[in-house]
Amino acid sequence: MTRRSTPKLGAYVALTALGLLGALVFARPELAVLAAPFGLILAVAMAIARPPDVRVSLELDRDRVLEDEEVTLGIELYARDAASRLELLVDVPPWLEVVAGRNPIAIRLETGEERRLELRLRCARWGGFTIRDVHLRARDAAGLTTWERAVEQRLPLRVYPRPEALRELVRPLETQVFAGNRVARQKGEGLEFADLRPFVTGDRIRRINWRASARRGELWVSELYAERNADVIVFLDSFAEARKGRSGTLDQAIRAAASLTERYLALKDRVGLVNFGGVLNWLQPGTGQVQLYRIVEALLNTEVTLSYAWKEIDVLPRRTLPPKALIIALTPLLDDRAVGALLDLRARGFDLVIVEVSPLPFAVAPRGESGELAFQLWQLRREARRLEYERAGAPVVEWRDGEPLTAVLEGVSAFRRHARAVV
Amino acid sequence: MFSLAEAARLSGVIGAFAAAAIVVLAAGLVAGLPAAVTAGLAGLGACWAVSAWTRGPDSPGSTIFVTAAILAAAELAFASLEQATVADEGELVARRLAGIVLRAVGALVLASLLLAALGLNAGGGLVLEAVGVAAAVGLLLLLFTLARDAAR
Repeated sequence: MTRRSTPKLGAYVALTALGLLGALVFARPELAVLAAPFGLILAVAMAIARPPDVRVSLELDRDRVLEDEEVTLGIELYARDAASRLELLVDVPPWLEVVAGRNPIAIRLETGEERRLELRLRCARWGGFTIRDVHLRARDAAGLTTWERAVEQRLPLRVYPRPEALRELVRPLETQVFAGNRVARQKGEGLEFADLRPFVTGDRIRRINWRASARRGELWVSELYAERNADVIVFLDSFAEARKGRSGTLDQAIRAAASLTERYLALKDRVGLVNFGGVLNWLQPGTGQVQLYRIVEALLNTEVTLSYAWKEIDVLPRRTLPPKALIIALTPLLDDRAVGALLDLRARGFDLVIVEVSPLPFAVAPRGESGELAFQLWQLRREARRLEYERAGAPVVEWRDGEPLTAVLEGVSAFRRHARAVV
Repeated sequence: MFSLAEAARLSGVIGAFAAAAIVVLAAGLVAGLPAAVTAGLAGLGACWAVSAWTRGPDSPGSTIFVTAAILAAAELAFASLEQATVADEGELVARRLAGIVLRAVGALVLASLLLAALGLNAGGGLVLEAVGVAAAVGLLLLLFTLARDAAR
């Protein structure tokens, strides 16, 4: 423990010294009387002062929660020696808000006393957090000396993004060769009726369509659409974000990425992740619950990292972007590197859908005529970018903070109904 | 107040000086500056010393009250500075207030004893007698409590 003197100690020493000195200089014993209580408190407090022995441990009621949920942090204290005033500060990460309980707090502990304090924390944002240190500062009874100590604790807390309500997903244009829940364009084993054709040697008897055969007087068989899965790549642009206060485009994008991943994996599709930003990382497509946790864990570590390095799509391993994959890009369209990479992907024939996480709710038009003009030009430039993607056959839908994602994705389906992708 | 009441002359100067000391003390409390608080307390003590000097060699009767008052003011001032950083829980606030009252009473007793030991006139009157009796009773109770705790 680190022992320190408080300002009160200095003040009492000064007042005692001044009183005694004044008594000597001015030959007024009353001044010595005035200083005596201060001197007596100093002497007694310094004589009996000793550091308290307090044990601290922390525990969380849960270590995995969803955004906006609350967790209880329990602080167990045991005093082997009494602490007349113990200040306690838990190093709580900034995105965890204390909604009940006090931090810091000053308490008194008697010898042998066990005590439990509780802090109710609201997880205001997704992310991986660690509650690290508990800072203790004990004071002696007179408040003249303090002992400070930091107790190191490592309590990890994973806060998963709040899921977005999704009723319908974007259907991939192409399916892959593995079995899944999607009706493929190719004929094969499946449930959905595709066509009729004459029976040929080798056809299975159960495929014979008896009604059609009876009508035509020869054997006809039903052909069915195969049921396949699809490859979906969630492309997260983390080069830049627009932020106002506690919300920003990256937060929205992460929530959408987690929700889309969960829904596509539930449909037995293979889902991969490309985090294209200052720090580049990726996950090859996979299926199942393990892949969901892999992707969500990767998303939790996402942050905007400033980088001037020019990155292109070539830096990604080939297997990260399988052919015929549906790529859902979540981007604020703020950084030219991400904008260029998406055009590059479209040029390579990928089925690209761009969900533009709009930075406009977080942007404020500068004051003045020239500021407003610049703001309008910026908006026009964004519009031109959108048209560029649409000309290339990639739908762009704008998603503003507060809008339901499912309504935004419906815009993609509408685009596909009216436009033909040039692959 | 004590300084002004006790001053035989120079009451204007003493009043101005006391007012300045109070302003410094208040500023120190508001700004959280312990040095200013110390200066303010020293200033109040100095005011009282000057007022005592104006009365000549006799010790003013208010010495023991001023001693207790300045100690209580110092304790309250530093307690409030501590509260500004980390607030006490309810039980601790009550204990702290009780501690300050006890120290102030202790200062009364100590000042009385010292004045008596130095052979100075501490004034007199019914109030002082009552304080003396209360202090003596309190001291006896304290001794009794300590003896009982030691026996356990």
